[in-house]
Amino acid sequence: MTADTSLDEPAEATREASRADRPTNILIVGVGGQGVIMISKVLALLSQMHGAEVKQSEVHGMAKRGGVVFSHVRYGKKVWSPTIAKGEADVLIALEWAEGLRWLDFLRPGTGVFVSDTRKIVPPFACRNRKFGADRAYAKETPAEIVSRVGNGYVLDATGAAEDLGNTRAANTVLLGALSTTLEFPAEEWENVIDQFVPKGTQEVNREAFRYGRDWVEKARRDPAFGLSDANAYEAPVLLPGEVDVELEINETWCKGCDICVKLCPERCLALSEKHKATLKNPAACTGCRVCEWLCPDFAIRVKRTAAAEAAE
Amino acid sequence: MSEQLTPLHGNHACALGAIAAGCRFFGGYPITPSSEIAERMSRELPKVGGVFIQMEDEIASMAAIIGASMGGTRSMTATSGPGFSLMQENLGYAAIAEVPCVIINVMRGGPSTGMPTRPAQGDILQARWGTHGDHPIIVLTPASVQEVYDETIRAFELAEKLRVPVVVMYDQIIAHLLEGVKMRDADAPLVERKWAGSEADYKPFATGDDLVPAMARPGDGHRVHTTGLTHNEAGFPTQHPETVDRVTRRLLDKLDRHRAEIEKFEAVDTDDADILVVTFGISARAARRAVRIARAEGIKAGLFRPLTMWPFPEEALRAAAKGAKAVLVPEMNAGQLSWQLERVLRDGTPIVSQGKIDGQPITPDEIVARLREIRGS
Amino acid sequence: MNEVATVAGAETGPFEIRDYLRLELMPHFMCPGCGHGIALRALLWAVHELGIEKDKLAVVSGIGCSGRVGAYIDANTFHTTHGRPLAFATGLKLARPDLTVVVISGDGDSLAIGGNHLIHACRRNLDMTLLMLNNEVYGMTGGQVSPTTSEHRLTTTTPTGNVEPVFDACRLAAASGASFVGREVTLQAPALKNLVKKAIAHNGFSFVEVMSDCTEIYGRKNDLGESPEMILSQKADMRPEAFGNVADQPFRPHRLATGVFAELDRPEYGAVYRAQPAFRKG
Repeated sequence: MTADTSLDEPAEATREASRADRPTNILIVGVGGQGVIMISKVLALLSQMHGAEVKQSEVHGMAKRGGVVFSHVRYGKKVWSPTIAKGEADVLIALEWAEGLRWLDFLRPGTGVFVSDTRKIVPPFACRNRKFGADRAYAKETPAEIVSRVGNGYVLDATGAAEDLGNTRAANTVLLGALSTTLEFPAEEWENVIDQFVPKGTQEVNREAFRYGRDWVEKARRDPAFGLSDANAYEAPVLLPGEVDVELEINETWCKGCDICVKLCPERCLALSEKHKATLKNPAACTGCRVCEWLCPDFAIRVKRTAAAEAAE
Repeated sequence: MSEQLTPLHGNHACALGAIAAGCRFFGGYPITPSSEIAERMSRELPKVGGVFIQMEDEIASMAAIIGASMGGTRSMTATSGPGFSLMQENLGYAAIAEVPCVIINVMRGGPSTGMPTRPAQGDILQARWGTHGDHPIIVLTPASVQEVYDETIRAFELAEKLRVPVVVMYDQIIAHLLEGVKMRDADAPLVERKWAGSEADYKPFATGDDLVPAMARPGDGHRVHTTGLTHNEAGFPTQHPETVDRVTRRLLDKLDRHRAEIEKFEAVDTDDADILVVTFGISARAARRAVRIARAEGIKAGLFRPLTMWPFPEEALRAAAKGAKAVLVPEMNAGQLSWQLERVLRDGTPIVSQGKIDGQPITPDEIVARLREIRGS
Repeated sequence: MNEVATVAGAETGPFEIRDYLRLELMPHFMCPGCGHGIALRALLWAVHELGIEKDKLAVVSGIGCSGRVGAYIDANTFHTTHGRPLAFATGLKLARPDLTVVVISGDGDSLAIGGNHLIHACRRNLDMTLLMLNNEVYGMTGGQVSPTTSEHRLTTTTPTGNVEPVFDACRLAAASGASFVGREVTLQAPALKNLVKKAIAHNGFSFVEVMSDCTEIYGRKNDLGESPEMILSQKADMRPEAFGNVADQPFRPHRLATGVFAELDRPEYGAVYRAQPAFRKG
């Protein structure tokens, strides 16, 4: 590492790298559109400003489709490989919970720092059963379990915080704030660099987001209970298939029997009656997805869910 | 009150009359010889917080002023022959949807592009029947710059009060004539449209004895449907024969009910007239002088001049023509007014048409010559 | 300036379409399976989520099937003349900047008889939203060819198939200067709702083309199947691809792009007019 950096924070993630005189490895993961690349750029510029050599490698092909995005950033006196090997990341920063878990074994055992948003983006293929509210094949591990497994874990509801600040898209900056406490660069440099990479007019909210992330980690360091306070805040209640209550109200006077709901229902649970009116022939198959309601040109279908089901949404 | 006269061109008097009448929206398209109205309005309206817009054509201009009026703003457009033709469809919309608006038509020689810089009076039947179907419309025909000012104000008053489109028609000569005008006081009261109140059972096209429905202003909570389709009292389209007959007749009867305040005319020396000259607008100015000359020669001539062309002041004309042995109709078209008189005066009085369509105004001498001819026969 | 009540994240509650309909007129007059109904739902859904008061919503429509859609909305609705709704709406919006003005029009209404008004409305950039329901045909008059009828398709006035090129309405609007341009199919109802929402919230002239289906007349004449098949085939024809250069492809390609094609921050006409020094406020 360069000698002239001011270690104003614990810089827990780089202490060991610094001692071993090897590059610092930071792995950033998330899904399309969350700002993985922006975090990489901030890191790259910051470390360059401090005279370090930087190598960065990314995959962002499916960005627009909500697909996986990851980026390896390595900086130090001399960097050879552009990618980080399993078990060698000093920091794993995850913008989406399950993505964080997927890459967990890249983290350096014992000392690696895990920084993650606790919000979940559940992809459609995680739903084994399309019944509304049904169980999902999404990671079951709780934030508390994960924090106990890693060297240092900071799991916060960055998206929620950014939302409260007025711009959901600043969630990545909240995480940058958290990350900044684990590296050696001074806070004002982070802020100046972030300013350069965020859209015009959002500098102020991003500065607030950055400070929120920093403050959050400081509080979490003082109070471990606070560190887990965001963990379950946004866990959607999971209803089992039998518990889901969906009702279809079909207005026969308005229905003109156009067949759209029948043919476009993903579960094919509707049919036309002898009078050419839509009817729900297989209520058990109905997932309450609302496609029939949205596509009925005659506004004849109303999908009603119970309070419990609505809450699950 | 100031008795001072302000020298104004006809078209400028029209614009200032509109502003004085509370006009706060003008949508128009340039066309000779009416363009000065738009030009003046573009300068005057911002000063009073109104909006001027030059639309992409006359169809759009007519549509825009109806739109503005439906929003609750007094609105106007100005045009000439070809543009007036383009406005006809939406004029019908204003008539059936009962949207107050004022249309200025500065007549020029026609048909088609005709003679843009020459005067004519050839649009009086188009003004009445230009749009399709039976519909109510008011047409005013001023003959001086002062009258252009006053009649433009009256046009707004009638339009707002009766919820009907009102056309003000004059010609290229009056448009570009400079005369002194006595302006109205700035604080003169404006005639307000009959607005819907907060009544729960409000029906947008139901009326009382005056046959004028109260209008709902967008945003006042009534959320009304306005359509060019024949509609029932609730405002929704209908083809139910009895309803269609009832609502359409009400629309036509509306102006009949208010004839007394709509009709305006001038009668000069008609009591003992042997020959009644009937004409309007610029031709009436020549006729007034012709009647004086004829009287000096011993010809008992009189003048009847409608300022309201439609609905035509039929009773007043019949009264004026009572003792007349002949009626002379000098007009700058091929006989449109005389055709109308044949319908109104069904008592066999000979009606002589003096139509002039060469783009030149009719002179007093020409009218006197015809009066002499008629006396001789 | 438009004072749309669009508080970010406004809690407007669940959408109940009956709150926005003139129930006494329902069921509506549209044919079974007509896409216009789906578009109408998307519009009302967007209005609901934006939190626009019904009293402050003005819907202006022209003539044709699309023109009749507005009557079912419980708002200030104006059913005007063929091709002219934009011109009516221009006057209305200038006189009443406090209203949210949405124009519902069809492909014939907007692009043929109303083409002149369309390009000038795009150019002027007065704050309103045009929802052009494109069903590729004059449905109300019995199925004649329109400026968006696909090539070779049969209509009652193209008995051997349409030989005219097809307008790409979005390119036309974008080239004319519309500051918001987008297109969506009815099958993607929530996406359509979001597009309409964006369009209404946009300060300036917004053009939204909705690919609608005319099953009864156009679909039947061309053997395109019933409405479910037509809706699905529209989707199959769509490609959320780059809009490209307008000049490259003036007419509509077989594969249609969907999404937002233009979102520009241009001066809004009404605001510019009222900002002139001579203008007296109040």
